[in-house]
Amino acid sequence: MVTKRFQCPSCREIASFSGSAGEQVIVTCPSCLHQGKIVFPAEDTASYAIEVSHLKKVYGNLVAVNDISFNVKKGEIFAFLGPNGAGKTTTVEMIESIREPTAGTVKLLGEDTKTSFDKIKEQISILPQEFHSFERLTVRETLEYFSKLYKKQADIDGIITALNLQSYEKMLYRNLSGGLKQRVGVALSLVNEPDIVFLDEPTTGLDPKARREVWQVVANLRQQGKTVFLTTHYMEEAEFLADHIAIIYKGRIIAEGSLDDLITTYGRGSVLHIQGCTSSEALVILKDEGYDARSEGNGTIAVTITYKDRVLDVLSTLRHEAIDYESIEIRRSNLEEVFLELTGSKLQEAEA
Amino acid sequence: MNPRIIGMDVLFSIKSWWRSRGTVFWSLLFPIMLILIFGAIFSGTGSTNFSVYVQDHDHSAMSSQLMDIMNKTGVLKITMVNESENVTKYIKDHDIKAFLVIPNGYAQHINQSFVDPNSKVNLTFYYDPTETSSTEIIRSVISNIIQTMNMGLSNGRNIVGLSTQSTITEKFNYIDFFIPGMIGFTIMQQAIYGSIERNTKYRKDGILRKLLTTPITRSEWILAKMTFMLFLSFLTTTIALAVGVLVWGVKVNITPLMILTIVSSSFLFSGIGMIIGRFVKEEETADMAAGAISFPMMFLAGTFFPLAQMPSFLQTIAQVLPLYYVNEALRNSMIYMNQSLAITNAAIVLVFAVIFFVAGVLLTKWRED
Repeated sequence: MVTKRFQCPSCREIASFSGSAGEQVIVTCPSCLHQGKIVFPAEDTASYAIEVSHLKKVYGNLVAVNDISFNVKKGEIFAFLGPNGAGKTTTVEMIESIREPTAGTVKLLGEDTKTSFDKIKEQISILPQEFHSFERLTVRETLEYFSKLYKKQADIDGIITALNLQSYEKMLYRNLSGGLKQRVGVALSLVNEPDIVFLDEPTTGLDPKARREVWQVVANLRQQGKTVFLTTHYMEEAEFLADHIAIIYKGRIIAEGSLDDLITTYGRGSVLHIQGCTSSEALVILKDEGYDARSEGNGTIAVTITYKDRVLDVLSTLRHEAIDYESIEIRRSNLEEVFLELTGSKLQEAEA
Repeated sequence: MNPRIIGMDVLFSIKSWWRSRGTVFWSLLFPIMLILIFGAIFSGTGSTNFSVYVQDHDHSAMSSQLMDIMNKTGVLKITMVNESENVTKYIKDHDIKAFLVIPNGYAQHINQSFVDPNSKVNLTFYYDPTETSSTEIIRSVISNIIQTMNMGLSNGRNIVGLSTQSTITEKFNYIDFFIPGMIGFTIMQQAIYGSIERNTKYRKDGILRKLLTTPITRSEWILAKMTFMLFLSFLTTTIALAVGVLVWGVKVNITPLMILTIVSSSFLFSGIGMIIGRFVKEEETADMAAGAISFPMMFLAGTFFPLAQMPSFLQTIAQVLPLYYVNEALRNSMIYMNQSLAITNAAIVLVFAVIFFVAGVLLTKWRED
């Protein structure tokens, strides 16, 4: 199943449609009812680093992961976003062959992990959740230890420099701060020059500064052409890093796409804030024109914008009515709103 | 199997062990301290075993009377031994601490003494010199009985005498008993706790999950850890022996059976640690469970005190504790040089090792449920 957004050639509204890869279908624009033919992009499996199909994990009566399917393209940062207890770690550990799935298949770089996991160990690397390495080895020794487990060994000095660990390389792992430990954790996942890096909640428990440092390191992985599978329960993390986001909630993927896709499809659009309005009539006029407008007090009017061209329409309406204002500001909808829209609760509240 | 990976892992294990001052203390200095302290406190003392085996070659009313008196003291527990048994062999085979032989002609000599002032008869008392206090008590009880008899018979003329004979040709004392026990105990502690750390802390910290996705196999990892464990076991043994030999003058024999016992017990206790780690997943709880298993074992298995000193129900318990056999195997293979006991105990340790290690390996896994 592929979901694809199309812009209506008539009313320019954007709508999402789902269908099989390579399928041609006639669709109707939900906005202006214009009909047209669309083609879903053909599936190019060679470009996928990770292919997950109907993955399921059941513990007794509890369905922890419920029939999940998705693909991760080579070279992208894929964020698996969801509240604690949603099934993120169970899913990623099934993909990493640490947990046995109840049903479903996982392919990494085209190889089925059930039969050929040993073949691809050299090409992947993981940072487990709450990872804590050997206490009494130094940073350099820790890197050397894990590096020597592989045939293909990256240049340790290069990794130390790239992750800015030069001043800490002789420190024992146990004496590092939480942020540094995670940085070393990411460094460890590079010692075999992997094609796919799995990072399971790499910034959980870190302060904002340390979190930003880890983000920078992860963002650099994309530049090196690595595929990154990142699980997180931080909206900002997914927004900052991910090329593609899948939102998991109660064991199911409830939405998937790029940040823009998700915001456009599920967000409330952007909100135009008009500050210092001179006329008290403005709100009435905008509402009469059919806009979703509301007063936010202090002479500020908020207008929900479904797509960006509408901003100009709103402003020209005001100008036409000779209504002046001090300033405008457009606030984009974010993942938090997407999550709220999809689940009826905020992500932090949804944490089990 | 990749020897390069195994060697590398062993090297890093040693490095990281050496940096943990606490672990180094418990595995090296602690045994040394105990050997010094216990050696100083207990040298020359032993246990209280009041069981005495008697072989009666005389079968006379008088010999029965003597045993009757011994029985009536309430201090000695008499066990009769068939006179066809060879005394030395019987003592060795049954690990007997006190053995009294009433010679043929005992009654005859006593009767003779009324007419012949030179008529004398000697009972022979065989004793285990490592059990100094208990055998001393038995010997003095028997001497007192004989003394009283002599008084009654002849106003103190020594008609009946007591000759003593050590059951072992060399003289051993408490420290000879203690050092092998200390070695067995330290190996147990290191192996159980090391194995628990690998199976609980490393699991919690994600190290096992990380390793699962790297090319190292579980067999390579286990082999590397066991190599490291053996390194620790032999290091401990060397140090304990060095202190024993240099400070207390213990005479030690390095034998193949002793080495076999050290190797087997390293596997045995690592297996027990793995099993604990499998069922008790929390690191702290697992440490407590390890303590709950190893601490009583330390006392009950005859590490610090001879089993004979304990009530008989505790002695029965000791017979099912693996550490008891490790201690016995080590003592007999390196100090007492009792070949048959060494072989039997070493074989039992080997069997325990195979069972526990295989069970440990089979029960533990890296993958999550």
